Amino acid sequence: MAEDLVLDTAIRDWVLIPLSVVMVLIGVLRYFVSKLMRSSQLPDAKALKEGQVIIRARNLKSGANFIPSKSFRARRVYFTNEENGLLYVPKDQAQNAQAQMFSDPNMAMDMMKKNLSMLIPQSLTFAWVNFFFSGFVAAKIPFPLTQRFRAMLQNGIDLSTVDVSYVSSRSWYFLNLFGLRGLFSLILGEENAMDDTQRMMQMGGFGFDAARSLAVEKDSLDIIQHDWALPKMEQRAEEVLRKLLR
Amino acid sequence: MAVRDDRRSSEKKKSDDLQIVNVENLQNNMKSIYLSRTFLSIIGGVVAGIWGFTGLMGFVFYFAVMAVASVGFAAKAKFSPGAYFDSWNRIVFDGFLGGLMSFVLFWTFAYDLVHIF
Repeated sequence: MAEDLVLDTAIRDWVLIPLSVVMVLIGVLRYFVSKLMRSSQLPDAKALKEGQVIIRARNLKSGANFIPSKSFRARRVYFTNEENGLLYVPKDQAQNAQAQMFSDPNMAMDMMKKNLSMLIPQSLTFAWVNFFFSGFVAAKIPFPLTQRFRAMLQNGIDLSTVDVSYVSSRSWYFLNLFGLRGLFSLILGEENAMDDTQRMMQMGGFGFDAARSLAVEKDSLDIIQHDWALPKMEQRAEEVLRKLLR
Repeated sequence: MAVRDDRRSSEKKKSDDLQIVNVENLQNNMKSIYLSRTFLSIIGGVVAGIWGFTGLMGFVFYFAVMAVASVGFAAKAKFSPGAYFDSWNRIVFDGFLGGLMSFVLFWTFAYDLVHIF
């Protein structure tokens, strides 16, 4: 390896530490801003009902083997019969619901807000780092890397003779961006910004596909092979109770 | 960590190895494991940086910390993870590499603060 660079302690005091602290603080700020901006609209009664029905059907599916087959069949009919079963959705009605969802402007608005609250602070920070700290060698990674990583780690300094393990300030920003996720999940609880976007995407998909997911649940309930897991439960209970009495 | 209630555990011993796990409790347990691993990787990174590990040594240290964490989780589950998780893998391997990025970041940070400048 080449001879060591001598880095000024002023770089540590005025670049490395402030940059890291600012990244943490901005993460915290973003969390609270997105929490503030989260509009609490009243949930649609119909969508909520459908979601609850799906959850009930799933519970039945996972607990199917713990009830006698007669009870299971009765419940299955209750969910899946073609006349008034809870999971059965008539064709035209399904279409209607989907169209209604698409025309709802609130959802698009919400998504926009979420995306903006992610994007704006990030681009602002990046611009800030670029403006104040461009071209510093800010840190040194304590392990050797190959030349391939030069573009990634020395973004912003165009010197091909510097050892690859030296990190420019702009790349230190990127390292922070990815590495602080764990810290955020510790200090802000599970639901930090990253998880939030994922959950939002799931919710959106859920809303759009309510009719389809009902149909999927119906099919999977229909094909369940029922096999009662506790056929001798009563005898066993009697045994235990008798033992207790004695 | 939340334990399944007694009725179920006694059921499990008698009936032929049917997996009965309360999903919410399982998720709660997995979350606490994830948080402990993240915490350990951050602390481990700082420690590795202060001790001045470089190169392969640091990664060996990370894997050692994670292995110790796995043993610790197993001990916490009284070496019968069936009562808390659906398989051994949850304790031993889940999130093994998840904290690597945090570890590298804090390792670099502490190492730079202490040894470079």
